[in-house]
Amino acid sequence: MTRPAHPLAVFAALVAAVAVALAPEALGPFHIRVLQFFFFSAALATAWNLLGGYAGYWSFGHMAFIGIGAFAAAHYAMAFGGGGAGPASMIAPVAVGALSAGGVALVIAYPLLRLRGIYFAIAMLGVSQIAAELTNNVGALKGGIGVFLPSPTPAGMPPERFFYYLFAVLLGLCLLIAWAIRRTRFGYALLAIREDEDTAMMLGVATERWKIAAFVLSATLTGTAGAIYGYSLGYFTTYSVFRLDFSLNMIVFCLIGGIGTLWGPTIGAALLLFLTQVLLSRFLDVHLMITGALVVATVLLMPGGILRAVGELPRLRPKREGGT
Amino acid sequence: MSEAILSGRGVTKRFQGVTAIEDVDFDIPEGAIFGLIGPNGAGKSTLFNLITGYLPLTSGEIRFRGEPLGAMPIFRRNQAGMARAFQIAKPFRALSVRQNVAVGAMFGRPDAHDVEATAAEAMRIAGIEALADRRADALTVGELRKLEIARAVATRPVLLLADEPCAGLNPSETAEMVRCLRSVRETGVTVWLVEHDMKAVTSICDRILVIDAGRKLAEGSPAEIVADPAVIEAYLGAPLDAAEGGAG
Amino acid sequence: MDLFLQTALNGLVLGGIFSLAAVGFSLIFGVIGIVNLTHGVFVVAGAYLALVLHDSFGIDPLIGVLPIGAVLFAVGYAYQRTIIHWAVSRASVEASLVVTFGMAMVFRNLLQLWFGPDVQAITPSYGFQSVAIGEIRIDVVRLAALGASMVILLALALMLARTHFGRAMRAVAQQPLAASLCGLDVRRIFGLTFGMSAALAGASGAIIGIVQPFSAATEVAWTLNAFVVVVLGGIGSPAGALIGGLLLGLINAFTAQYVGPALTQAMMFLVLVGMLLLRPQGILGAAYGETR
Repeated sequence: MTRPAHPLAVFAALVAAVAVALAPEALGPFHIRVLQFFFFSAALATAWNLLGGYAGYWSFGHMAFIGIGAFAAAHYAMAFGGGGAGPASMIAPVAVGALSAGGVALVIAYPLLRLRGIYFAIAMLGVSQIAAELTNNVGALKGGIGVFLPSPTPAGMPPERFFYYLFAVLLGLCLLIAWAIRRTRFGYALLAIREDEDTAMMLGVATERWKIAAFVLSATLTGTAGAIYGYSLGYFTTYSVFRLDFSLNMIVFCLIGGIGTLWGPTIGAALLLFLTQVLLSRFLDVHLMITGALVVATVLLMPGGILRAVGELPRLRPKREGGT
Repeated sequence: MSEAILSGRGVTKRFQGVTAIEDVDFDIPEGAIFGLIGPNGAGKSTLFNLITGYLPLTSGEIRFRGEPLGAMPIFRRNQAGMARAFQIAKPFRALSVRQNVAVGAMFGRPDAHDVEATAAEAMRIAGIEALADRRADALTVGELRKLEIARAVATRPVLLLADEPCAGLNPSETAEMVRCLRSVRETGVTVWLVEHDMKAVTSICDRILVIDAGRKLAEGSPAEIVADPAVIEAYLGAPLDAAEGGAG
Repeated sequence: MDLFLQTALNGLVLGGIFSLAAVGFSLIFGVIGIVNLTHGVFVVAGAYLALVLHDSFGIDPLIGVLPIGAVLFAVGYAYQRTIIHWAVSRASVEASLVVTFGMAMVFRNLLQLWFGPDVQAITPSYGFQSVAIGEIRIDVVRLAALGASMVILLALALMLARTHFGRAMRAVAQQPLAASLCGLDVRRIFGLTFGMSAALAGASGAIIGIVQPFSAATEVAWTLNAFVVVVLGGIGSPAGALIGGLLLGLINAFTAQYVGPALTQAMMFLVLVGMLLLRPQGILGAAYGETR
């Protein structure tokens, strides 16, 4: 069932990689920071899409994993140091952050994934609210006081450039994983689960296991992004990383770009961030409104997101029989 | 007398005050095409749901290939050799016919190799090779039903439970479905089908089980069933002409 | 013992308010079949309107409930007949989830732009009085809030049970197709249901405004609250909202008193997930988990 990668696609990917690598030479700090945030957001959305788009389980609480990743990394670094200075000092804390997020996901996966649709979505929202509240109120977690991650930027490089590259690499990793999954049994299992979970069971798909795998993978990648984000902040408190708007953005980017597709999350992130960060950067007050309006417009005009509207790809969900 | 590939003893299912299935016994011999008929609401789909694991038993036991099923998860039952073609065909709309069938081939057995060949074979058995690259949401009802069968067959089962495969089909589509089910049996798969279409049932089934209001009413060859007075009263209706055999 | 009773009373009072705040959400879920994520915004909007009426015109929020309800009824009706209807008919019922979510963002931003992001509270004339029942004290404000909530809920229950419109709503909730075949204008009833839900949400917001502080950002919590109430008590009925609300109020109060005030959300979520996982047959129905 796997098709060899199209040579044109590989070439395009290489060109893009080179462009990304060289861009900071030509851009000022503001634009580098915007791109940095774009890579971060696109990586998050791509990670969310593994569970939401591929498997059809929309989590409204992925910010939990960002926060867990960031705080776990910080606590580890504060307790054990990172080992050296510079980028190498990041490795262990980020790994701890990623694994912590994945670990939490593993623990809650079995009960939560028995819920479907809106119930799962809201349960995850609840999980994220709990995680934030516990972090903020349990003294040992230091969410209220704040935690600290030492700067890993190598000497001589401006920090926004360093994180630009880091997040670009992260995005590349997420895209690679997303691309690989689609070509394997894992991808087909998730697709079957999304299309019709009960039928999938009767076709031999071990739905429980595949769902948990997608959930944990998605959480781990999100946690990784969160840990790196924590580093980019340096010092942060609970609500600097447990951000509801991050949860929402992940979903919105996928919706607008094309949920369940490979590039949809990235395209959605690009479009929306261009709008809010570049065009409307002076109008912070209306970001939420613009985002919301775009979401509504997308649903009404292009229910499957941009990619689906442009391509010949199928509807987001089959229409329910019997009207509302 | 061949081994029973599927057997049930005292199978009972109660839902809060409603007894959907009561104390039903059955033995499905290997290699047969078995039938299950009864009035609407008799519990036919419930029985299939109990066998395939979508509902837990209230009491009784079901054995598949000699082993009691217990609370075996649904996907394991499929991997052990049980497949089901559902009453309301729900294909994976995002995929082509070939891809739909391939999902069955991919996951149906723990040692699934050669997915493409298995899928191709399943499509051939069901008679839908010509539709292989058609999008699943662009099929007629008859074609969808055959896709259901093909997808189930691709999981390489030893037993196929077919839930009203002929429902809503015109006579020529019904004849095709009958042919399809016969092909399935020819590959060595035991078939148990629920149907209302008496012509199809009597022409294809070796034996038929009749249930009414959750209880087993009768069991026997088509000729015996059609002539059984209890069955006639509960389901078939008195024949206008004794030779016709039923209204359905 | 007194502390226990005091906490229980606080919980019941809070719960009564939760019930009113959730019943609209429950109705939409039951009658129209969609999850309205804009719900919390209507609640908060009601609170803001009450603030304006009180601070600018001296109108007590509990009286302001009526005009606020009327305004939000109109908004809710228009909202359903346009945006919601388009979403559902163009895409799917799930699309309504996304659309109400997007609209919540829009409305919330509008509220923030108009009123600012600061937390507000309404202090009515009786704001600092309290009443004693034996050893237990209760604020007049809370008592009044509870009373108003119960009156409105009762009125709603009577309407659903006794009036023609109430019967029509219940018919549409059970069998929309059959109802329309019997001559009911289903779309109009959906619109009216939504309007009513918004009105109830706004009314509850006005009442909440005198009991606790609010801001546009708290709307998420009210949507979540409504969902929990529905999960606990059942979909579509004022009785369900009452049970769910009272239960949630008690959980909230006891957690705040005996575990810690900062962990009330955590406890609420635990209860929510617990209920969802253990759900007894029938309370939630098959809603979104379709099986063969």
